[in-house]
Amino acid sequence: MRGDKKRLLIFLFIVAVLAFLPIYIKGDYILNVLFLLFLYIIISQGSNIMVGYAGLLNVGQAAFFGIGALVARLAWIGGTPFYLALLAGGLSSVVLSAFIGIPSLRLRGHYFAIGTLALAIIGRITIGNILPGVSFVPRQYLEGYSLLFRYYLALGLSAAVIVVVDRVFNSRLGLAILSTRDDEDAAQAIGINVFKYKMTAFALSSFVVGLGGGLFAFFYISYYYYVPFALLWSFEPILITFVGGAGTVAGPVLGSIFFVILKEAFTHTLGEISILIFGVVLILVILFLPGGLASIPKKLRWRQVKPVLQKEAEGGDSCSQ
Amino acid sequence: MEIMQFATYGLINGALYGMVALGLSLAYGIMGYLNVAQGHFIILGSYGTYWLFRLWGFDPFISIPILMVALFVLGAILYVAVYSWLLKFPVIDRLKSSLLISFGLMLVFENIAILLWTADERAVTTSYSGKVIDLYGLRLPYIGLGTIVLAIIVVIALHLFLNKTYFGKAIRATAQDWEASQLMGINVARTYLVSFALSILIAAPAASVISMRVISPGIGVEWSNYGLVLVILAGVGNINAILPAGFFLGLIEAMSVYLVGAPYMGMAGLVVFVLVLLFRPQGLFRGRAGL
Amino acid sequence: MLSVDHIDAYYGDLQVLWGVSLAVKEREVVSLVGANGAGKSTVLKAISGMLKPRKGKIEFQNVRLDRERPYKIVEMGICMVPEGKRLFPDMSVLENLEIGAYLSQARRVKEKSLEWVYEIFPRLKERTGQPARTLSGGEQQMLAIGRALMSLPKILLLDEITLGLSPLVVENIFEVIKQINESSGIAILLVEQNVVLALELAETGYIIENGRIVGQDNAKALLEDERVKDAYLGLPSGSGEAP
Repeated sequence: MRGDKKRLLIFLFIVAVLAFLPIYIKGDYILNVLFLLFLYIIISQGSNIMVGYAGLLNVGQAAFFGIGALVARLAWIGGTPFYLALLAGGLSSVVLSAFIGIPSLRLRGHYFAIGTLALAIIGRITIGNILPGVSFVPRQYLEGYSLLFRYYLALGLSAAVIVVVDRVFNSRLGLAILSTRDDEDAAQAIGINVFKYKMTAFALSSFVVGLGGGLFAFFYISYYYYVPFALLWSFEPILITFVGGAGTVAGPVLGSIFFVILKEAFTHTLGEISILIFGVVLILVILFLPGGLASIPKKLRWRQVKPVLQKEAEGGDSCSQ
Repeated sequence: MEIMQFATYGLINGALYGMVALGLSLAYGIMGYLNVAQGHFIILGSYGTYWLFRLWGFDPFISIPILMVALFVLGAILYVAVYSWLLKFPVIDRLKSSLLISFGLMLVFENIAILLWTADERAVTTSYSGKVIDLYGLRLPYIGLGTIVLAIIVVIALHLFLNKTYFGKAIRATAQDWEASQLMGINVARTYLVSFALSILIAAPAASVISMRVISPGIGVEWSNYGLVLVILAGVGNINAILPAGFFLGLIEAMSVYLVGAPYMGMAGLVVFVLVLLFRPQGLFRGRAGL
Repeated sequence: MLSVDHIDAYYGDLQVLWGVSLAVKEREVVSLVGANGAGKSTVLKAISGMLKPRKGKIEFQNVRLDRERPYKIVEMGICMVPEGKRLFPDMSVLENLEIGAYLSQARRVKEKSLEWVYEIFPRLKERTGQPARTLSGGEQQMLAIGRALMSLPKILLLDEITLGLSPLVVENIFEVIKQINESSGIAILLVEQNVVLALELAETGYIIENGRIVGQDNAKALLEDERVKDAYLGLPSGSGEAP
């Protein structure tokens, strides 16, 4: 339990630091960047739940982010209190997940991947067709707009999501989900309802991503309605999750930090090329570092263990063919 | 009569969707790669057609052979630089990894296109763009007819290649059992290289036709989407059913536009896709999944 | 003609062959026998290029094999009939045979080779248009051997061809193999669990146990050897030491 306590303390410490930060920082720039970081942590954990824990590739996450943003925005502008609007965003995302999850999760992985991608692409096109304009915030909300409030909201939500992911994947539910990732057939053979657990993971992930979308809608003052549906919102969380390390709680956090720092650095210098570079990075990570940044300590440890295993094998009692 | 008109447009679109999907199905059937970036490669080809037209007056149909060579080279380069590394992964991982990698490639290509040619939309307009044959009141666009003819030619050519030539048979053999193919003296690495390049080259006619519609850096993903949906509709790996599946999808889409209107055109494909997953995931068409 | 010289082979980090050596002379029939898991198939995999040995070398007509890619090894005249036949399931009998003649030198004389194979295996001619997966076990094995013959090999590597076949079919096939060797001079390296049949067919025999060669002699002599009789012939098919 020592390790757990240590992690908890580190986590609380960081949260506390971030909570007190606004007192010492003047100006909005840092708060804006940190908000973005928290947002990315949230949606990357969503992606992490799918690809890291459930072993499902949700390439169409943009559709869920988008619908969360859309519903939350419309609700909020229409007068609903923000927390209900955010909740509505999350829930609408869950409904969407059922629409594509139920048909495709009973089948092999590529159906799901293609299905979610189709959902995202068609979602973006359709929204672009039926809501081509800009979404504005009505005057009365503008006057009450507080960056600080949104900063704490984002901090709280991302901390909550991290805790939830950690707790869920150390629980029985999480174990069941993990078993469906590693060997679907074996899990089925011991009586696990693979479909149920995959759908649960999907719903959970979608809720988180939908919340992220709602957060986006609550934060940004004006944007084109189709922006939250853009494919980048599928791509960037995946990139972050893989670079950081899929299947770990810390992975998306590390990846998000890496990503936001690079993005900020690039927009001031390279501009357009930043996305191009991220594309290349994703390819390199997939090909050569599948475990991401979080796997590096593990890889170093393996180097120490390998020679010992080798010696044992040469003892001659191996099963050979 | 109006419904016939819509149906005609649906068939023309279907032919185009089929041509786009053919390369995808090939790559998947032979190597287990799901190449989401296929649409972007096609659009790259379309830009090629556009510039050949703008700068030197090449008619888009005439530039197809040039495009075939260019796309073959592109495919070969992509294979050597990126996709060949995927072979060291076990087959199950290959699908997921190829999807992610092509996702990355998609964004790389899109941004290269933006940098080189800006995000503006472009199109090739020829002397016969918009011209139609009038068949008892039914308007048959020249380009549309050309599209359907091209699609049929491509499908037949591919079939002949895979079934009547030695190299084509080697490709099929490698798809069915690559280790056994090696034992027959087939250079599997080279076969994969050529197969992958072929999967890109085969979209050259589609690229040419699309250049006469609208091209922009980001539009490729919409074509990939059609391709992927068709691969599922036809039955994964079932190359012979791709064109019929394309016609089917095109018709359904046309009907939905006729009934519900154009903004929701994409939804038709999505609904069909979901229905197929629910009731007939092996694909609408019978036929062996395999080359 | 073919010499395997003290090879060590690994699956990943796990060593499976220790200093294995064997040789096949021109026109010779050699059998490599051993229990399940002893490493027999691994030796063939090393020869055919599917597995690179980490130590030692393999030579064929004085050309080194162990650094070459599988298709090059086939070009040199070594053809393996793999374990489990590994036919192309959706291709017809004819197409499978045609693929066997993929090499350009074999392709040129494809028609003649086809005739030859059909003579040896008349059953295949009957089924020429059928997809390979619809054939019976014995017919599939015949097709696998026929396919290998289409490449006009100088030596044929046969990996556990008796698996799953009835005794009658097995005898039939072994007869055919003997004929092929005698009439066309193709050398044979046979890997088998069925020790009796394998040693009866061969001129030279090797015994492999846990990745090491433990016996090597004239095949008839091995059949008479007490240790061999004890370990392999007294009990039902090929139980050596359990791993």
